[in-house]
Amino acid sequence: MAQNRREFLKAAGAAGAAWSLPDLWLAPVSAQSPRGRSGPWRSWGTDALKQAKGLGCSYADIRFGRKRSQALNVRNGQLTSAGGFSFGGFGATPGGGISDTFGFGVRVVHSGVWGFASSPIVTADEIRRVVQQATDIAKASAMAKRFDVKLAPVPAYDEFYETPHERDPFEVPLEEKLTSLTEATAEIQKNKQVLFATAQVSFSHDWKFLVTSEGSFIEQSLYYCSCGTSATARTKGQVKTRIYTPGASTAGYEFLVKADLKGHAERVAAEAVEHSMAAPVSAGLKDLILKPSHLALTIHEIIAHPTELDRIVGYEANYAGTSFVKLSDLKTLKYGSPLLNVYADRTHVGACGTVGFDDDGVKSQRWPIIQDGMLVGLQTNRETAHYMGETESRGCTFANHWRNYPFLRMPNIQLQAGTPGSPTLDQMIADVKDGVLVDGSGSFSIDQQRYNGQFGGNAFWEIKNGKVTRMVTDFTYNAITTDFWMNLDAVGPPESWEHHGMDGDAKGQPVQSNYPSHGSSPCLIRKVMVGAAFS
Amino acid sequence: MSYSREEVKAITDKILNMAKADAVEVDFQGGERSATRYANSSITANLIEHDQQVNITVYYGQKSASTVTHQFDDASLKTAIDEAQILAKRKPDNPETMPLVKPPQNYLPVDAVIDRTANFGPAERAAMVKKSLDICEKKGVVGAGYIPKLHWTTATANSEGLFSYFRYAEASFILTCRTPDGTGSGWAGQTGLKDVNLIDPTSITERAAEKALKSQKPRAIEPGDYTVILESRPAARFLSLLLGSMDARSAEEGRSFMSGAERGQTKIGQKLFGDNVTIKSVMNHPTLRQTPIGEDGLAAQDVTWIEKGVVKNLYYSRYWAQKTGKAPTATQPGLSLVMDGGTTSVEEMIKTTKRGLLVSFFWYMRPVEAMSILYTGMTRDGLFLIENGEITAPVQNFRWNETPVVGLNNISALGPPEPMHTGEAYDQPGTAMIPPMRIEDFTMTSVSPAV
Repeated sequence: MAQNRREFLKAAGAAGAAWSLPDLWLAPVSAQSPRGRSGPWRSWGTDALKQAKGLGCSYADIRFGRKRSQALNVRNGQLTSAGGFSFGGFGATPGGGISDTFGFGVRVVHSGVWGFASSPIVTADEIRRVVQQATDIAKASAMAKRFDVKLAPVPAYDEFYETPHERDPFEVPLEEKLTSLTEATAEIQKNKQVLFATAQVSFSHDWKFLVTSEGSFIEQSLYYCSCGTSATARTKGQVKTRIYTPGASTAGYEFLVKADLKGHAERVAAEAVEHSMAAPVSAGLKDLILKPSHLALTIHEIIAHPTELDRIVGYEANYAGTSFVKLSDLKTLKYGSPLLNVYADRTHVGACGTVGFDDDGVKSQRWPIIQDGMLVGLQTNRETAHYMGETESRGCTFANHWRNYPFLRMPNIQLQAGTPGSPTLDQMIADVKDGVLVDGSGSFSIDQQRYNGQFGGNAFWEIKNGKVTRMVTDFTYNAITTDFWMNLDAVGPPESWEHHGMDGDAKGQPVQSNYPSHGSSPCLIRKVMVGAAFS
Repeated sequence: MSYSREEVKAITDKILNMAKADAVEVDFQGGERSATRYANSSITANLIEHDQQVNITVYYGQKSASTVTHQFDDASLKTAIDEAQILAKRKPDNPETMPLVKPPQNYLPVDAVIDRTANFGPAERAAMVKKSLDICEKKGVVGAGYIPKLHWTTATANSEGLFSYFRYAEASFILTCRTPDGTGSGWAGQTGLKDVNLIDPTSITERAAEKALKSQKPRAIEPGDYTVILESRPAARFLSLLLGSMDARSAEEGRSFMSGAERGQTKIGQKLFGDNVTIKSVMNHPTLRQTPIGEDGLAAQDVTWIEKGVVKNLYYSRYWAQKTGKAPTATQPGLSLVMDGGTTSVEEMIKTTKRGLLVSFFWYMRPVEAMSILYTGMTRDGLFLIENGEITAPVQNFRWNETPVVGLNNISALGPPEPMHTGEAYDQPGTAMIPPMRIEDFTMTSVSPAV
């Protein structure tokens, strides 16, 4: 006899269901981060491009890369090798060890087609072999060519860019890092109703040296940090995990210090317990107040992804999907209410997608995507700009690793704050009769054209008649993208704007990860369908 | 790029000799990942990635630390070993530290490399693309596909004298065809094949193109509970939702669907699924080619996870097994997975369905509620309404909210298993033998006009 899902879900719920020495050993290793001006990269790159030109390539680049990463996860005071709750941790393996990877990738256009090859053996002989291999791949691909790759022009640069940072995380003693995590879990565990407390931090240092046949020599030294804590509580079989996620940032160790994991521990623990005892939210149309910590993922899924030009023209049809946005929608599609203003920005200090140059050698910039609710711009790179009739790239090419081929990845996509004097969070709450206040990210799913999304969150509070009443659970909402943003009724003022970075975002084949940030102020969205997942 | 047993052993031996610690473990991996990707009926990426790495773990009592390096010259190895040694000494004791696995381990022989798959190159992939695109052009559809090849070696060695080595090669062909007006989309593919000669680009392209053409201009129908016929790809994705709950530790710690009534208890022995649900890990399966090497170098064994709906085993890691007095499982739940099938073809399922949906693909499945394994996801690339035993119309995609706990109780027909990847992407091992299945009362909660 067929089992009934609603009965099952109901039943499942009811059943209740040091040292303080600096890491001196690391300092010299970290200092080995190659510097292009003193290393062989410049001459090796020049030789590689000369070889590619001799082989008949119309374009070539070589990207040397070194990536050092470290992740520490603590569970109930114990350093563990188990994974944390974030998306990616920049590829680091938890446990406090160091991952160090070094290599290069060569990309060429021959016969109008791309070829790419990479290797971890960084020698002049190997570079010659890989240039030949990338060229051979491109030549072989030409048999199935239907059109030539067209690249937007780019100026030549000879520059160095480094993430502004105060303290290199790889020069901070292990004990200091661990202490900040164990103190946080100890504080969470003071709440005896908490089953598990976790704290984590990930660091990454990416060094790149890009040489292109357009004449560029671009060296970049990028620092990343992400961190957070969680508390898990179980009450009568209802298990809930509350997370505190300052997010991820291009920054040094100071990001972890400023995140103050310990300072948020007591609240996180209490909210985990309260959530485990919370009653389900009632289903129906409700007004939602979404905090920036939650909006980051919504912006990511239903604004940032659908405005990637490669998706719009079909490059991702076999995996990440296409987009409901069409090229003809530019300057005609009303994406949302007049309060919706969105821009792309690879220059915002601290944002995860901030770099000096993209992996095509295009300088970072900021440009509008949605103005007063109207779609006005898209994310482009050298390869795709021509599809929308633009003659310059917006600089959105990125490869996750020296091993990977570069392609179009989203920059930071930010929802602009309301004007000074816009409604504050408290004023928004006072203006809601029946609604939910949502914090943090949780369940999220979206169709392949970014039209129908279902989002959860990490913590939810019921709002009745202008007041927050209690915590609720089993919350999801459904968003049809343009309808959802049309119902945007308030955007918080500039002082409430904050950005949230992500240390993972999958796209491409083979799949690569990207690190964008999405900033916003709290937003009030009217009449959103809540609770369909559980009803 | 290929790594022989001797080459790998020379590298791991060198590291084991260089490291000074109570115990040392080295995990090696390396090889070639290649792929050809095409879209808009032209190749958009064609690549060969060569990579290699060792993960070096040193132990001092209960202290340990790991470092990873991709450079195998003496200086780089020494730096990595030094870093691991210094880090380990400065770390606190880890009470979950396990002693090294000792030899001998009796690894089941797995025939995992066929030379023509290992040597499958960019020109051969481009020829497949051309063959596929020519068919797309004739059918009037636009092709977007992915042909990955992985030729990879993994090895584990430790200072107890253990050395395990496994090399495999596999290839896949995955294709989405869309109509030029964007109103129809269809998917077809073969994944994780040991023998590249089994890839049939013609058949895959014809199936994907046919689906794209037949799915044009879908109409919206009401959400609700439907009989669904899942082809092997969505069936594999749906089944994968269960795998994360098969971990004994999370069950005994009271934080998973498999948790028992009291802390420390599990649902092993309980009948939770339909009689027709039997799921095993089968080493050296004639079609699959996954590793016979388990956690820390333990020899993986056949495991029956669910038999006729009854939970028979959960996964016990080495540490959790020791703590609870059980034997370690060695074989992780997603490894060489085989679900028993039936004899009903998809065509026969359609013929015997009064009203239902034929599903080609599930997309973007994400957890909604962990304790009930409630997930949400979308249909994609071909959804068809079945009425009175026939496909009568393409319909707009649905968002669903469902749990495999319910779905695997409601299977009313099973087809013959076929190899299909269980993961969202196709880049890691994860191909399983999965039957197409018909599930009653599958909950569709909203419609999407996305094509």
